[in-house]
Amino acid sequence: MPAQSVWMIRLSLVYLAITISMGGLLLIHKAISIHPAVWGLLPVHFELAIWGWMVQFVMGTAYWMFPRFLKGEPRGNSNIATLMATLFNGGLFLLLISIFDVYSSFLAPAGRGLLLISVTLFAALIWNRVVSYRKRT
Amino acid sequence: MPPITRWFIKAGILWFITGMILAFLAELPLLSAGSLLLPVYWHMLVVGWITQIIMGVSIWMFPRKKRDRLKKQSVRTVVSFVFLNSGLVLRFLCEPFIPMFRGESMITLIVIASSLLQVLGILFYIAEIWPRLQPKSSRKKTSGGH
Repeated sequence: MPAQSVWMIRLSLVYLAITISMGGLLLIHKAISIHPAVWGLLPVHFELAIWGWMVQFVMGTAYWMFPRFLKGEPRGNSNIATLMATLFNGGLFLLLISIFDVYSSFLAPAGRGLLLISVTLFAALIWNRVVSYRKRT
Repeated sequence: MPPITRWFIKAGILWFITGMILAFLAELPLLSAGSLLLPVYWHMLVVGWITQIIMGVSIWMFPRKKRDRLKKQSVRTVVSFVFLNSGLVLRFLCEPFIPMFRGESMITLIVIASSLLQVLGILFYIAEIWPRLQPKSSRKKTSGGH
């Protein structure tokens, strides 16, 4: 398994643990009021579940498992893959901060922008690997 | 495909169908409980369906350590399946009724039990998968030592 996949999947598992704990807290808060600020965790819970856990896990696994190139670097340029993983998690971090920092109008678009660049890099890395080794008859 | 993967995938499919039935029912004008059913429906799809499919397939496909290959089924994965699904069942049975019975000890206990079971189910899954995530270089070193 390439290092980029290892790190993306490990981080997705960390985000899964955080988001499921937040979900548990939010559920308990529905039955017994813990603190009014607990509802503020709801958007963080969504973002971590969708982007931190599911999307990141799928991207990390796809980068590892899709058919490899027979010549050259087996999964394409590994520096681009490292950049993809870094930008994805940097973007997610900015997005999470933006939820709490209500005065900043810069962090959310910056975070979404980094996620967009990362997903575009992912598409570029994966595109030519969506193939079959079998020749068409 | 190991048995535990089949359980995860089949349970995921059942939650998927149940979630879609709920989404259909919530649209009927006769049932005015759409907003109460919304979190149930979302969690059936995101946790019950998508997350469980990911869990089941990764338990099957992710490489095991050499010494674990002989084990047919890890106890952690079975505990994860039982905890997560029993937590989800409790959640879906009680969540729509929380506004009606808020503050009653029975519903509070069920909600806390459901939350803990779901969190523990996920933690057992992470404990199973984490050691299997190794770069190729360190995997070679590990298996070369045995």
